[in-house]
Amino acid sequence: MSTGGGGEKVGGGGSGSAKTPSDFLKSIRGRPVVVKLNSGVDYRGILACLDGYMNIAMEQTEEYVNGQLKNKYGDAFIRGNNVLYISTSKRTIADGG
Amino acid sequence: MASEEESTVKEPLDLIRLSLDERIYVKLRSDRELRGKLHAYDQHLNMILGDVEEIITSVEIDDETYEEIVRTTRRTVPFLFVRGDGVILVSPPLRTA
Repeated sequence: MSTGGGGEKVGGGGSGSAKTPSDFLKSIRGRPVVVKLNSGVDYRGILACLDGYMNIAMEQTEEYVNGQLKNKYGDAFIRGNNVLYISTSKRTIADGG
Repeated sequence: MASEEESTVKEPLDLIRLSLDERIYVKLRSDRELRGKLHAYDQHLNMILGDVEEIITSVEIDDETYEEIVRTTRRTVPFLFVRGDGVILVSPPLRTA
Protein backbone atom coordinates (compact mmCIF):
# COMPACT_ATOMS: atom_id res chain seq x y z
CA MET A 1 0.00 0.00 0.00
CA SER A 2 3.06 2.17 -0.02
CA THR A 3 2.67 4.80 -2.68
CA GLY A 4 5.73 6.96 -2.67
CA GLY A 5 4.44 10.35 -3.71
CA GLY A 6 6.23 11.96 -6.61
CA GLY A 7 7.44 8.68 -8.04
CA GLU A 8 5.05 8.65 -10.93
CA LYS A 9 6.22 9.72 -14.33
CA VAL A 10 3.61 11.65 -16.19
CA GLY A 11 4.21 11.59 -19.94
CA GLY A 12 6.68 14.37 -20.56
CA GLY A 13 4.75 16.81 -22.65
CA GLY A 14 6.26 19.97 -21.29
CA SER A 15 8.14 22.83 -22.81
CA GLY A 16 11.90 22.78 -23.25
CA SER A 17 13.62 20.35 -20.89
CA ALA A 18 10.49 18.64 -19.68
CA LYS A 19 11.29 17.20 -16.27
CA THR A 20 9.08 15.18 -14.05
CA PRO A 21 8.81 16.10 -10.37
CA SER A 22 10.97 13.13 -9.46
CA ASP A 23 13.66 14.32 -11.86
CA PHE A 24 13.57 17.68 -10.16
CA LEU A 25 13.94 16.05 -6.76
CA LYS A 26 16.97 14.12 -7.94
CA SER A 27 18.60 17.18 -9.42
CA ILE A 28 18.48 19.54 -6.44
CA ARG A 29 20.52 17.61 -3.92
CA GLY A 30 23.39 19.67 -2.52
CA ARG A 31 21.79 22.93 -3.50
CA PRO A 32 20.58 25.70 -1.22
CA VAL A 33 16.82 25.49 -0.99
CA VAL A 34 13.85 27.13 0.61
CA VAL A 35 11.36 24.76 2.16
CA LYS A 36 8.01 26.20 3.11
CA LEU A 37 5.77 24.27 5.44
CA ASN A 38 1.99 24.21 5.54
CA SER A 39 2.21 26.19 8.76
CA GLY A 40 3.94 29.04 6.93
CA VAL A 41 7.35 28.52 8.53
CA ASP A 42 10.31 28.84 6.20
CA TYR A 43 13.47 26.76 6.31
CA ARG A 44 16.54 27.71 4.34
CA GLY A 45 19.50 25.44 4.05
CA ILE A 46 21.44 23.07 1.88
CA LEU A 47 19.48 20.06 0.80
CA ALA A 48 21.22 16.86 1.82
CA CYS A 49 18.61 14.43 0.55
CA LEU A 50 14.93 13.83 0.21
CA ASP A 51 12.58 11.02 -0.69
CA GLY A 52 9.32 10.49 -2.52
CA TYR A 53 7.28 11.48 0.51
CA MET A 54 9.06 14.85 0.54
CA ASN A 55 10.78 13.98 3.79
CA ILE A 56 13.78 16.30 3.79
CA ALA A 57 17.23 16.26 5.30
CA MET A 58 19.02 19.61 5.28
CA GLU A 59 22.24 21.08 6.58
CA GLN A 60 22.96 24.56 7.93
CA THR A 61 19.26 25.16 8.27
CA GLU A 62 17.75 28.45 9.30
CA GLU A 63 14.17 28.77 10.46
CA TYR A 64 12.23 31.88 9.52
CA VAL A 65 8.89 32.68 11.11
CA ASN A 66 7.09 35.71 9.69
CA GLY A 67 10.26 36.57 7.86
CA GLN A 68 12.29 36.65 11.06
CA LEU A 69 15.16 34.29 11.73
CA LYS A 70 14.20 32.25 14.73
CA ASN A 71 16.49 29.25 14.92
CA LYS A 72 19.46 27.62 13.35
CA TYR A 73 19.95 23.89 13.04
CA GLY A 74 23.10 22.06 12.05
CA ASP A 75 21.06 19.22 10.60
CA ALA A 76 17.34 19.10 10.20
CA PHE A 77 14.92 16.39 9.13
CA ILE A 78 11.51 17.57 8.10
CA ARG A 79 8.55 15.24 7.81
CA GLY A 80 7.19 15.35 4.31
CA ASN A 81 3.51 15.85 5.10
CA ASN A 82 4.32 19.31 6.48
CA VAL A 83 6.04 20.47 3.31
CA LEU A 84 4.19 22.90 1.10
CA TYR A 85 6.98 23.39 -1.41
CA ILE A 86 10.68 23.00 -2.00
CA SER A 87 12.31 25.75 -4.00
CA THR A 88 15.89 26.27 -5.06
CA SER A 89 17.46 29.56 -4.13
CA LYS A 90 20.65 31.38 -4.85
CA ARG A 91 21.38 31.64 -1.20
CA THR A 92 24.84 32.82 -0.33
CA ILE A 93 26.05 31.48 2.99
CA ALA A 94 27.96 34.68 3.64
CA ASP A 95 24.73 36.65 3.78
CA GLY A 96 25.14 39.57 6.10
CA GLY A 97 22.63 39.61 8.93
CA MET B 1 26.05 -3.62 -10.26
CA ALA B 2 26.71 -0.25 -11.75
CA SER B 3 23.35 0.94 -12.92
CA GLU B 4 22.54 4.43 -13.95
CA GLU B 5 20.11 4.69 -11.06
CA GLU B 6 21.45 6.08 -7.83
CA SER B 7 20.60 3.02 -5.78
CA THR B 8 23.01 3.91 -2.98
CA VAL B 9 21.40 7.29 -2.36
CA LYS B 10 20.60 7.82 1.26
CA GLU B 11 17.14 8.76 2.35
CA PRO B 12 16.47 11.29 5.09
CA LEU B 13 15.40 8.40 7.31
CA ASP B 14 18.82 6.83 6.89
CA LEU B 15 20.33 9.96 8.31
CA ILE B 16 17.97 9.93 11.29
CA ARG B 17 19.36 6.47 12.00
CA LEU B 18 22.67 8.16 12.76
CA SER B 19 20.95 9.90 15.67
CA LEU B 20 19.86 6.67 17.38
CA ASP B 21 20.88 6.63 21.04
CA GLU B 22 21.69 10.30 20.79
CA ARG B 23 19.82 13.18 22.25
CA ILE B 24 17.64 14.94 19.71
CA TYR B 25 15.34 17.89 19.43
CA VAL B 26 11.88 17.34 18.00
CA LYS B 27 9.47 20.03 16.91
CA LEU B 28 5.84 18.95 17.05
CA ARG B 29 2.57 20.48 15.99
CA SER B 30 0.64 22.59 18.47
CA ASP B 31 3.77 24.56 19.40
CA ARG B 32 5.42 21.74 21.28
CA GLU B 33 9.04 20.76 21.46
CA LEU B 34 10.75 17.71 22.84
CA ARG B 35 14.28 17.03 23.89
CA GLY B 36 15.19 13.47 24.64
CA LYS B 37 17.22 10.42 23.74
CA LEU B 38 16.12 8.65 20.59
CA HIS B 39 15.68 4.94 21.24
CA ALA B 40 13.67 3.95 18.17
CA TYR B 41 11.84 5.33 15.19
CA ASP B 42 10.05 4.13 12.06
CA GLN B 43 9.12 5.41 8.62
CA HIS B 44 6.12 7.26 10.04
CA LEU B 45 8.47 9.03 12.44
CA ASN B 46 6.78 7.35 15.37
CA MET B 47 9.50 7.57 18.00
CA ILE B 48 10.46 6.21 21.36
CA LEU B 49 12.24 8.82 23.44
CA GLY B 50 13.84 8.50 26.85
CA ASP B 51 14.44 11.16 29.52
CA VAL B 52 12.29 13.63 27.67
CA GLU B 53 11.61 17.24 28.36
CA GLU B 54 8.49 18.65 26.70
CA ILE B 55 8.07 22.38 26.22
CA ILE B 56 4.65 23.76 25.32
CA THR B 57 4.62 27.36 24.12
CA SER B 58 1.52 29.50 24.29
CA VAL B 59 1.08 33.14 23.36
CA GLU B 60 -1.55 35.23 25.05
CA ILE B 61 -2.51 38.69 24.00
CA ASP B 62 -3.42 41.11 26.75
CA ASP B 63 -6.84 42.61 26.09
CA GLU B 64 -5.82 46.06 27.19
CA THR B 65 -2.19 46.46 26.28
CA TYR B 66 -2.24 44.08 23.31
CA GLU B 67 1.17 42.85 24.27
CA GLU B 68 2.08 39.27 23.56
CA ILE B 69 2.73 37.18 26.62
CA VAL B 70 4.74 34.13 25.72
CA ARG B 71 4.39 31.33 28.22
CA THR B 72 6.18 28.03 28.26
CA THR B 73 5.11 24.96 30.14
CA ARG B 74 7.63 22.23 30.80
CA ARG B 75 7.36 18.68 31.97
CA THR B 76 9.69 15.73 32.05
CA VAL B 77 8.75 12.20 31.10
CA PRO B 78 11.10 9.24 31.53
CA PHE B 79 9.80 7.24 28.57
CA LEU B 80 7.63 8.45 25.75
CA PHE B 81 6.04 7.16 22.56
CA VAL B 82 5.54 9.88 20.01
CA ARG B 83 3.03 9.38 17.21
CA GLY B 84 4.67 10.29 13.95
CA ASP B 85 1.93 12.38 12.38
CA GLY B 86 2.54 15.13 14.91
CA VAL B 87 6.21 15.47 14.09
CA ILE B 88 7.37 18.47 12.13
CA LEU B 89 11.15 18.49 12.48
CA VAL B 90 13.92 16.39 14.02
CA SER B 91 17.41 17.66 14.72
CA PRO B 92 20.40 17.18 16.99
CA PRO B 93 19.92 19.38 20.04
CA LEU B 94 20.30 23.10 19.61
CA ARG B 95 23.60 24.21 21.02
CA THR B 96 22.64 27.32 22.97
CA ALA B 97 25.82 28.73 24.49
